[in-house]
Amino acid sequence: MSPRAAAWAVLAVVLTFLIGPFVIIVLAGLSAGQSLAFPPQGLSLQWYIKVFTIESFQASFAMSMFLAVFGTLAALALGIPAAYGMSRYKVPGAETVRLIVSAPIIVPGIIVGLGLLRYLVIPTGIGIATALFLAHTALILPYAVRVVSASLENLRTDIEEAAVLLGCSRFGAFAKVVLPNIRGGVLAAFILGFVTSFNQVPVSLFLSGPGVRTLPVDMIAYMEINYDPSVAALSALLAFMSVAIVFAAEKFLGFSKYV
Amino acid sequence: MSEFLTLEDLTLAYGGTVAVDRLNLDIRQGELIALLGPSGCGKTTTMRAVAGLLSPKSGSIRLDGRDITRVAPSRREVGLVFQSYALFPHLSVFENVAFGLRLKREPDLSAKVLAGLATVGLADFASRAPADLSGGQQQRVALARSLVMNPKVLLLDEPLSNLDARLRLEMRLELQRVQRETGVTMIFVTHDQSEALALADRIVVMRDGAIEQVGAPEEIWTAPASAFVADFVGFETILPDPETGGALAWRPAAVALGEGPHSGTVRGVSFAGASREYVLDTPLGVVKAEAPASEAPLAPGAAVAFDLPRAAAARLPGPL
Repeated sequence: MSPRAAAWAVLAVVLTFLIGPFVIIVLAGLSAGQSLAFPPQGLSLQWYIKVFTIESFQASFAMSMFLAVFGTLAALALGIPAAYGMSRYKVPGAETVRLIVSAPIIVPGIIVGLGLLRYLVIPTGIGIATALFLAHTALILPYAVRVVSASLENLRTDIEEAAVLLGCSRFGAFAKVVLPNIRGGVLAAFILGFVTSFNQVPVSLFLSGPGVRTLPVDMIAYMEINYDPSVAALSALLAFMSVAIVFAAEKFLGFSKYV
Repeated sequence: MSEFLTLEDLTLAYGGTVAVDRLNLDIRQGELIALLGPSGCGKTTTMRAVAGLLSPKSGSIRLDGRDITRVAPSRREVGLVFQSYALFPHLSVFENVAFGLRLKREPDLSAKVLAGLATVGLADFASRAPADLSGGQQQRVALARSLVMNPKVLLLDEPLSNLDARLRLEMRLELQRVQRETGVTMIFVTHDQSEALALADRIVVMRDGAIEQVGAPEEIWTAPASAFVADFVGFETILPDPETGGALAWRPAAVALGEGPHSGTVRGVSFAGASREYVLDTPLGVVKAEAPASEAPLAPGAAVAFDLPRAAAARLPGPL
């Protein structure tokens, strides 16, 4: 085999592994049959329509949306000042802080979820929804700090001094001069946080209760009872949503610059 | 004219390191002052203290009869043009210049901004982004941004060092013209003695956090007050003077090559266009001399006689 042909073969294998599952799920969801199978037994849109009528999915979708949007906003509210502080001031132990902030990425989600359940939810009795919100905020925080740090790294610091000399307060200089110049990074962090939160399973698995669970966890629960193609249809819709978000971000913001 | 800006016993420190130690300086209104010295001498630190970006450890700063030592930077009426210009990348040229005026709620904003841009010759560039301008143009925007605030003192950090040789001359003339037209007191920081000599009314030579000499360019050039200043402005041969106990300093051109009571060996020669520069090893020490390029060059290793005429030397007080 020539090197060129070998390169094409490798590319084909990689693409098959990356896109293959996606294609199978989309097609499985289009099935006209009653059980999850591939290849689909006939073609119909019935499962794609049915997904929207399942009440439990409506509630868990709302929960996941809430966590993705507000968890990410909370993570940004904490992460932007943290990233700013670490980049602008030579804080003693900044590296340690960076490491601790990154811990949720390093520690397996199962352990984070179990730990939160055992040592936060049970002893304090806070609601599952509150615990989910805190957990997702903590999970997104590392992404917020990293991505915002990267764009702060590329921003010169003397413009803040220039703004101060022209009449701004320190905070005014941050709002008027720093934020507008890192907005691309902040939006990138938001999208990354949103997608991470929405697709999160291991931590959310432990933090579920009566009527309160995230969409992915709800889908697993649904599948254990109803082995029908609606889960495939829903998965395909969610995948399309993620792709659309990333695509829009790339088109309007040059998302790949920041990640 | 009386003092306009007074630095009194100013001591500045970064962390525990003292960068400027009890510095005293009086500057008159409308003066163009150069703070000259090698990197690390405290000149930029002094400038940052005047701007209010660094609070003094002790001492005071008075501007136009008012103690501004503890006044916030934005209330000092001091402008600063950064070495890197520090333009706001997300704002147009117009909005960069308008930035401070907007914060002041200036009623006559547009006219003032356009007048400021006209002063620096950038009237047609108002809608451009800073990134689309050349380095020289960016610096003019930074200059206009400070000038429209009508500061009492305008500080410039190494205003010419990022420009190429042709632009440097242009900017030098520009700064002098702006200073003449606006009458603003200007202090600029530089490590380049030729810039200081060409531009300043008075030069403040600094070394290791203290002032070494303050004087008009002619004075600094002809009568350096110390070996450090002498060396900095091109007196490259400095030898003790047994008659006075002080020292004598010669520029390379003042050393008479070819005949004289001294002799030495040529260590190196370099061609400098109109002349050749020689480094001589002599019993007195290293002597730097120069000869017109029209004369036959001396080869390294050659023995040469030379004279160090007293009349051409600068006299330095104190021993070396």
